[in-house]
Amino acid sequence: MTDAQDKTAALLAKLWVKIQPLVEQRLATLDQAAAAAVAGNLSEDLRKQAAGDAHKLAGSLGMYGYDEGTRIARDLEVLLGGANPSPERLSVLIAELRAAVFPKA
Amino acid sequence: MRHILIIDDEDDIREVAALSLEATAGWDITTASSGADGIRAAADPKQRPHAILMDVMMPGMDGPTTFRQMQQNPEIATIPVLLLTAKVQGVDQRRFAGLGVAGVLFKPFDPLTLASQISEALGWKD
Repeated sequence: MTDAQDKTAALLAKLWVKIQPLVEQRLATLDQAAAAAVAGNLSEDLRKQAAGDAHKLAGSLGMYGYDEGTRIARDLEVLLGGANPSPERLSVLIAELRAAVFPKA
Repeated sequence: MRHILIIDDEDDIREVAALSLEATAGWDITTASSGADGIRAAADPKQRPHAILMDVMMPGMDGPTTFRQMQQNPEIATIPVLLLTAKVQGVDQRRFAGLGVAGVLFKPFDPLTLASQISEALGWKD
């Protein structure tokens, strides 16, 4: 790795710390959607918001080295893109995503 | 020195892309958080970019719409545009390529190699 790449990697590590509250916020939206789906009252607005947040996670986690997080978030985006996402599948994927991104949580 | 305009509504994407290109390639970076702001920035003769890296999915005016508007402005129509997308389906890729952009890059990008991806897409040798 070059010095410039070392410097970039160090800056990315700092940015990851800075961005974590936003990642948590997006995971919370996904949690809300899953809870609503389990209760049978997932609204169209919340489903679309959760799909959008999954899309953003898919597009960003890999930048910080969380490639598995990007893969799971893509699966969530596809799942939430449908009108009636499986509540069970939704809950499993969100748990996997959280474990992939925050392994000690 | 190369000058790149990054247009993306997501703060963290703009920040990572900017620091990546500044630190690994030494390029000058300007950022904009919307298509409308991006068009204004591109048209500013004091900071005319050599290339534009633009997100596809943005609220309001999305990337393809912004690109089409740029094509209507002779002052900026010749600036190469690379679209940045998290869409991985082939149909989306072909649709974006069909717009006439210089290339399509994918999110999440690798910050350590983003500059070389851009150079390769645009045929830059330096």
